[in-house]
Amino acid sequence: MERAMGLPISHLLLVTGLVLVLIGMWGVLVHRNILRIIIGFSLFGTGTHIVLVATGYVTGGTAPIIDRALPVGEAGARAVDPVPSALVVTAIVIGFSVTAIMLSYAIRLYEARKTLSIDAFTESKW
Amino acid sequence: MVEGLLQPLNIFLLGLGGGFLIPLLYRLSKRLPAVAFWAALAGIAVISGACLWRLLGGADAFEIQTAGTAPPLAISLRLGLAEGFFAFCVNLAALLGALHLWRRLRDSYTFLLLYLILVMGINGMIMTRDLFNLFVFLEIVSIATYGLFGLGQTRASLAGAFKYIMATVLASSFFLLGTVLLYHVTGTLSIDEMLARRDLIAGPVGTTALVLVLACLVIELKPFPANGWGLDVYETAPAGVAALVSVGVSAGVFFALFKLMPLFAPHLTLVAVSAAVTFLFSNLIGLRQTNVQRMLGCSSIAQMALLVLALALLLRHGEDEALPLIVGGLFFNHLFAKAGLFWLAGAVQRQRIRDWNVLSAGAPFILVFCSLLVAIAGLPPFPGFWAKWELVLRLAEHGGYAWIAVVLFGSLLEAAYLFQWFGRAAKAGRRETGGRVPPWDLFPAAACVALLTIGGVVASWVAGAASAWLHAPLFAGAALLMAEGLPGRAKCLSMLLVVFAAGAWMVQGIGGINGLFAVLLLSGGLVIAAAGLYRSDARLGYYPLMAVLLLSNVALLRASTSLEFFFAWEIITLASTFMLALSTAARGVMLQFLLFSLASAFLLLTGLAIARAVIGTTDLSAFLAAGPVAAPAFVLIALGCMVKIGVIGVHVWLPAAYAKADDDFSAMLSAVVGKVAVFGLFMAAYQAARSDAGLELARAVGWIGMLTTVVAAFLALQQADMKRMLAYSSLSQTGYIITAVALMSHLGWVTALYLVANHLLVKGILFLAAAAVIERTGLKRLEACGGLARRMPLTFAVAIVALVSMSGLPPLAGFGGKWLLLSAMVDRGWYGPLALGVLATLVGLLYMVRFGHAVFLGPLKPEHAELREAPAALLVPQFVLVAGILLLSFFPKLLMDPVSAAIDPQFASTLVWQGMSLELIYAYWNPARAMAGAVGLALLGAVLLWIFYRISRRPSRSGSPTGFFSYYRPLLAPVLASHAERFWGAVSVAVGGAAGTARRVYTGNGQTYALQVLAYVLVLYFFVVAVPMLGGG
Amino acid sequence: MTRVWAAIVVFLFGAVFAGLAVGYSERTAPSELAMRYLEQVPADLGAANVVTGILITYRGFDTLGEVAVLFMVAASVGMLLSGGRGGSTSPAAVTARPARPPSELVVNGAQVVLPIAFLFGAYVIVNGHLSAGGGFQGGAVVASGVVLLVLGRPSVVLDHGFLSVTESLAGVLYVTLGILGLFFAGGFLDSHILPRGTFGAFVSAGAIPLISALLGIKVAAELSVIIDRFRN
Repeated sequence: MERAMGLPISHLLLVTGLVLVLIGMWGVLVHRNILRIIIGFSLFGTGTHIVLVATGYVTGGTAPIIDRALPVGEAGARAVDPVPSALVVTAIVIGFSVTAIMLSYAIRLYEARKTLSIDAFTESKW
Repeated sequence: MVEGLLQPLNIFLLGLGGGFLIPLLYRLSKRLPAVAFWAALAGIAVISGACLWRLLGGADAFEIQTAGTAPPLAISLRLGLAEGFFAFCVNLAALLGALHLWRRLRDSYTFLLLYLILVMGINGMIMTRDLFNLFVFLEIVSIATYGLFGLGQTRASLAGAFKYIMATVLASSFFLLGTVLLYHVTGTLSIDEMLARRDLIAGPVGTTALVLVLACLVIELKPFPANGWGLDVYETAPAGVAALVSVGVSAGVFFALFKLMPLFAPHLTLVAVSAAVTFLFSNLIGLRQTNVQRMLGCSSIAQMALLVLALALLLRHGEDEALPLIVGGLFFNHLFAKAGLFWLAGAVQRQRIRDWNVLSAGAPFILVFCSLLVAIAGLPPFPGFWAKWELVLRLAEHGGYAWIAVVLFGSLLEAAYLFQWFGRAAKAGRRETGGRVPPWDLFPAAACVALLTIGGVVASWVAGAASAWLHAPLFAGAALLMAEGLPGRAKCLSMLLVVFAAGAWMVQGIGGINGLFAVLLLSGGLVIAAAGLYRSDARLGYYPLMAVLLLSNVALLRASTSLEFFFAWEIITLASTFMLALSTAARGVMLQFLLFSLASAFLLLTGLAIARAVIGTTDLSAFLAAGPVAAPAFVLIALGCMVKIGVIGVHVWLPAAYAKADDDFSAMLSAVVGKVAVFGLFMAAYQAARSDAGLELARAVGWIGMLTTVVAAFLALQQADMKRMLAYSSLSQTGYIITAVALMSHLGWVTALYLVANHLLVKGILFLAAAAVIERTGLKRLEACGGLARRMPLTFAVAIVALVSMSGLPPLAGFGGKWLLLSAMVDRGWYGPLALGVLATLVGLLYMVRFGHAVFLGPLKPEHAELREAPAALLVPQFVLVAGILLLSFFPKLLMDPVSAAIDPQFASTLVWQGMSLELIYAYWNPARAMAGAVGLALLGAVLLWIFYRISRRPSRSGSPTGFFSYYRPLLAPVLASHAERFWGAVSVAVGGAAGTARRVYTGNGQTYALQVLAYVLVLYFFVVAVPMLGGG
Repeated sequence: MTRVWAAIVVFLFGAVFAGLAVGYSERTAPSELAMRYLEQVPADLGAANVVTGILITYRGFDTLGEVAVLFMVAASVGMLLSGGRGGSTSPAAVTARPARPPSELVVNGAQVVLPIAFLFGAYVIVNGHLSAGGGFQGGAVVASGVVLLVLGRPSVVLDHGFLSVTESLAGVLYVTLGILGLFFAGGFLDSHILPRGTFGAFVSAGAIPLISALLGIKVAAELSVIIDRFRN
């Protein structure tokens, strides 16, 4: 489990996260449908969260929960960094919140114009 | 106990606790949420205010630990002076904003809790010392904002909100990514620890992380061109919400940037460039906006960019101690002025600028509106003025001339669109507003004006210019404003009394040339202002502004530092601008007048700043010893004064303003206000000569003066409107003065002052005579009158005295002045300008004859048979001025001796002319020879003109004056085509075109905006990562 | 054209990220700060789950903020979906659309899974200080149960009034617990207001389980409200 495809595990996770971010970005930039754009943002956010978790990984580490498998004395040597894990919880909740708000706006926009194409909402410009 | 309640942590308890409680309270009673909301919001403001008060009293910064544990383990917060100032300002604005929005907010308790938590979130962004916590607060603020956008009910506002969400979510995602990567490289989230471990932030991971965090903050501040989403929200959101985003959210983000700035230390230039681009382009684009809120949005973005620009540049130069005045002042100014304007826009509820004819909204409304515009434009007496002055000074000290140019040019553009808006608003239109804006709606904006005024006083104190006499003109104006309910004549009288009393007090202790000028301008001003008694109407605002204007003249002459000088200069500009705006006819030219005045002021400002940089002090007396290094400063100061004088090429604003202003105010503009710039030029020349700087340029100035004289004389000759003719004549006469000043000799300067006095008297009379004619006949065209000498003999008599004196015919003062000037030019060997001067004198003779002839001689029109003599209120001041002319003509030494003495004592020996007695001056020059030459030339010219007249004469026309002068039209053809006007017209079209092109980036499509945001991040990344690599090789 | 620009931008970000991935090196040991957490959370707070300890206590201020975010979103979504008015009105009358009835699988599945889901959620919430889990995680599990519930029985009406009072009350109590920390422990949100107890015991780790429970209730209520708003 230490290495996969010749890469350290966290590296793989990091790359996965970043690729997910890129996919999300592509979705945001290319899809015309607002719901798809929101999915793009979700992917973007999820990718970011994966990167977060990846950066917290410590070679050979395990979950930072003190129990029989991980006695207090060994925690320093064998646990992953708990900080990114704590941060990611907050980040996920915030990501969820943003998605919920965006979806509410999408529904309101649809009610207003009966379309979900982002190109239809250019009332104010220049 | 009280101290315990006033802890900064309680801000969060009130915000969060209040927010959580509101739904519960709603279940208990429908009224309770409102009570809780106001209690919590007011509590937050009070706590931040109390904390700031204690900090100002010297208390240590409040350090707040959460979880009973010290950082970096737990999150900590700090409330120091800077934090306290920002938090208190934002909370105060939030309180006023809630008042403004109240009718919308109370619809639903959801809005109440969103608003409350939003305010708390901004406080959190300001106070937190933990990077991830900053992210959380950023999100709290963002999400509360997204929710509050729900107050907008239109489709456009929903769409705008969605675009805003797209852009800011991208930005905050980058912040999150950057934060975690920064933790990865530094091993801490505490901002203080991170700053201490700045060195660890290197390598690909660290650099990328830094760029991402920086990019988020920069993007949240809406950089051009990735800011269309911001503009859309400013345009479509309810005004109160737009105000909150503009001042509240931006304040939080700005403070976050400020806090993290040490991390970005190597990239300060990049930040500054980004801000400069945004500042310039936002103001450019503002020119073309037709929607009030969108235009205010442009201004908001620009102001925040200016803040960032100032911050980055000051930090780069290590000028940390200047931050409170500059950044604090600009922030305070933007916060309250912009919020106030948004609230006013919300109260008026007119989206299109062209629908803003709000004159009927009432005088208090207009007063508040004007004050806020003045504040935004960075004009005195508001904090923005002092901050901008200090900023330009500091930039000049470090040679940042390009930055100064950006700041001032952008400010000019901003003033252009803001006052364009004012012009529209002041224009009486068909669709007036339904009625007055109720006091309740006006209150938040009025409170902003009050706060800005207080802020201005504090800033002036910090800047070191808080003397009573400097602010006396404004106090006098404010006092007279209280008495605006009186009848017109009573107001005029009280104004005269106030100006006399305050002026007499202020004039004391002004010595030398300044003293002479002060007495001259004050007494001349009082005499001409007294003519206002001929009108009995209320003239709302006119007399307070007149008092400000007249007293500021004195303040300018009393100034002992360049800051005081500039302050008074700007107040004079503002007072005259608003006095123009009071007249229906002149509203159209107000903008042009203001823009040229500001351009002049900015040249002056730059000059003064450079002078400060090379001399090391703002003390005006030190300018005398500046030495040749100060030459660029003197050149800029002289240029500024010449723009304000209106020398040929930049004169386009002058005739229009003089012709369209109220008739008695035209007299004031020409006779008194115009002399202020002459004084500026005089002082610049004097000091340049004393410090051996810029003497070579004097010859160019001399040429400019004489060209102005000649061209303006020709232009005067072809005017049909009598006031316009007098305006060009005024310009032409001022040209002589410029040349006299440029002679850089004792004789030249004595002459200049003599001419100034003469012109003040003459033009006062002539404009008042024109006022009398217009008052009695209602006619402005010269040729429409005629024969009025019979009906208005006294007016005719004084006009003739003035014309004779102006033309330079013996024996009146003008003769002495021209004599002196010609002699001085001969002495310096300036034969080219001399020839021009002679030509101008000839042409001048023509237009003066025309004036007298067309108005007073010839056949009387039948409809004028019953005309009465001019009112005594106009005649008396004219007679006083005539008395002045006679005094000056027959006892010239009364003026010349003190003038000569004032120039003498400090005079350096480097000059061509040593101080001489007047007898010597008259004797030095061989009058006979030169007189013969002049007479010969004049005869030659007269013969030529006569021949021309004979050749082209057509019998049918010979009778009327119109016919008489029409023969010279072909002769004037070359100057008829007003190149200057066409040039400035083209400039304005080009700038407008550029604005139109630049704003094409805002397609209105959320996806394009997202693309722009992402591209902006890439550009920042490129500059941070790639450029140093390329540069470093 | 937009696609081309989008492709360029995404490609360039790819390049930036590639640089990041290449430059990244996995930690071989936790950061100094992480070490202190790993030591102090069990020793000082008495919580076995270090992440929970950090979340609830040391970074409790973040967590409180995050709760505020969720709280605002629940309110905003309701307001937005009721046309910008909501908030003051009682829960919108649920007009269960006579859409396709849910499949038998969902209905039966819901019956079987629901009790387990709620129970599991409760377990995750209250054991947050001991094992993997915590208020947020458990609250999310409970909310998933609610999703299943409304899918399986579209006619069910959630009492928004009750949920709203619950979430508000939980929020107020959370802040109150934090304030108690000011008086009875080291500072705001300090979990030492209750005794540390025996390490590893169910009732231990000071106020952490209590806060966890409040969080769980609040999150579950808020997520349910949000989800239910979208149903209508």
